Amino acid sequence: MNIGQAFKMAWRSICGKKGRSALTILSIFIGIAAVMTIVSTMEGMKAKTMEQFAAMGANRIEVSVYAYMYDEGGNPISKDYFAGLYRFCSGLKESIIGITPKGSSNATVVYGTKNSSTMEWKYDQQYNVVSGPPQIYYGSDQYSACNNLAIAKGRDLAWLDCEKYNQICVLGAQAARVFFGSANPVGQIMKVNGNNFEVVGVYGARVEPDTPSAYQTDNFMILPYTATRLLGDTAPTEFLVKAKDDASMKTAITEIGGYLSGVVDQSMGGYQVQKEGYWQDYQNQQLTMISLVLGGIAAISLLVGGIGIMNIMLVTVTERTREIGIRRSLGAQRSSIVAQFLIESGMLCGMGGIVGIIFGTIGSLALGKILFQMTIFPATWVTLAAFGLSVALGVLFGSYPAAKASKLQPVEALRAD
Amino acid sequence: MAKLIELRDVYKIYGEGLESEVRALDGVSLDIEKGEFVAVVGQSGSGKSTMMNVLGCLDIPTRGTYRLDGVDVRELSDKELSRIRNKQIGFIFQQYNLIQNLTVLENVELPLIYQGIDPIDRRELAIQALTRVGLADRAQHKPTQMSGGQQQRVAIARAISTHPPIIMADEPTGALDSRTGHEVLGFLQQLNKEGSTVILITHDNGIAATARRIVRIADGKIIEDHPQEVNWY
Repeated sequence: MNIGQAFKMAWRSICGKKGRSALTILSIFIGIAAVMTIVSTMEGMKAKTMEQFAAMGANRIEVSVYAYMYDEGGNPISKDYFAGLYRFCSGLKESIIGITPKGSSNATVVYGTKNSSTMEWKYDQQYNVVSGPPQIYYGSDQYSACNNLAIAKGRDLAWLDCEKYNQICVLGAQAARVFFGSANPVGQIMKVNGNNFEVVGVYGARVEPDTPSAYQTDNFMILPYTATRLLGDTAPTEFLVKAKDDASMKTAITEIGGYLSGVVDQSMGGYQVQKEGYWQDYQNQQLTMISLVLGGIAAISLLVGGIGIMNIMLVTVTERTREIGIRRSLGAQRSSIVAQFLIESGMLCGMGGIVGIIFGTIGSLALGKILFQMTIFPATWVTLAAFGLSVALGVLFGSYPAAKASKLQPVEALRAD
Repeated sequence: MAKLIELRDVYKIYGEGLESEVRALDGVSLDIEKGEFVAVVGQSGSGKSTMMNVLGCLDIPTRGTYRLDGVDVRELSDKELSRIRNKQIGFIFQQYNLIQNLTVLENVELPLIYQGIDPIDRRELAIQALTRVGLADRAQHKPTQMSGGQQQRVAIARAISTHPPIIMADEPTGALDSRTGHEVLGFLQQLNKEGSTVILITHDNGIAATARRIVRIADGKIIEDHPQEVNWY
């Protein structure tokens, strides 16, 4: 007997018992839909995290220097380590692409009628920024190199701007839209805490403009880090170094650590040099953990569904014992009987899988919208895996009833009512 | 002429060694040659159905040898036994044993499917067999839509669709009225004339008179075995 014929036979007998087939499909599709929804939602979230991470670029090193000494006002006494670090890193061109301070300012930015202090912060349920005023960052001329930024209009920050205490700024793409709309900001004067700063350039957008992502990654302005003095902020103590690749990142961490150990007075302070994004790794681990736990719970529903399949197939075998006897008397081999029942349960579960995939897709779209305001469409591998899993379940849980059906002597099977 | 069927001291014992053991076949020896028409007659419980199950390779004897076409069936695998049931033997049962959710045509095609014949030839052979029993126009009906006599004719068509050398009929008229019963018996005689070996199992002496040879069985033993006057249908 050929395999196509076996499929046709299985299809006939599924159609012959529509009500029961529907129940069997029901028992498998809920599990498949649940597993699929969970896996694809988690995958979608991970992809989203990775996207934001990727916008900044990889291979970054966080450097921080801190002091234990405080002045009368209780502020830590800090010294400008940046100029020294900058020069040191310039000598490591082999492994380092750039270095920039990481400080930010709470200063108020005003242009015309637009005032950053009156702009409203908006958050989604997860307290991610949806929209808000631009961030003010202190940077060096290598800020753009460290942050995957490229100049779209005007010019970038120059090292001379830092050395000469120039009152200039470069805008992120979203910040330019917030303050200037579609007009060209280059050459315009903005007020930062009442001081005039000239816009010399605008960076290109790293993500889709006007989206929550854009407000999170492209809504900023960069001032030369030496403007801290003018704006009354402390000199930056945290720095960001971008390395060429994974291997040069390790070299750079060692080199910078070595340099700082000679520069920082260990009795009055300390320093830290580490790979950036360890907390993202941690977050990803948490996500994987959660998806494993939820997936495990959903898998239990699949198991229960599978046992249901086994039950139904056992009943089917008992009911069709006589049919098995007839087929055996007409020359069906044991293997043909096994194939018939395995294909039948595999097909039933496969159909359950298809229904499950449909509901799982709807589920992940709905869950993505409700929980994360994003469109999560299940990945192809998730869909294929869900289908494969359901067929495999059918074959697995169908094998015992199928074996039972084939073990009967033809004469015993024929005797059944 | 070579013996087609050769039973030597065949026993079929249920619950052997127990006090309640039943000897359905109790040392039976029987030879049947090609082209014979044999009626196996006995009361219910005499062992005649067990005899047919053993002869039809549906059941394995407890002891003794059964050679079919010179081959000892006890040494055959499930695959080989299945092939014998498929190609050598056509069964006709008292209860027709049609599969209810398949059409008449699909029922007749079943043994051909297990032979691996391709769909076009299979359909042609099945229609041929149905034409022989006069039911070609009912090919797309379900068995439940037909009378008992018609169902038994479908079963005959199924049995002869593979042109097996042996036809085994177990009380084929048991569920039919006498007129349709006679039709069925006439068919068996016709098949025998065309060269098939026919083995008819019955409890009814009148029906047994269809056959040219009668084998009477009681308590698992053959008590009578001789040629007889044939009653032609």
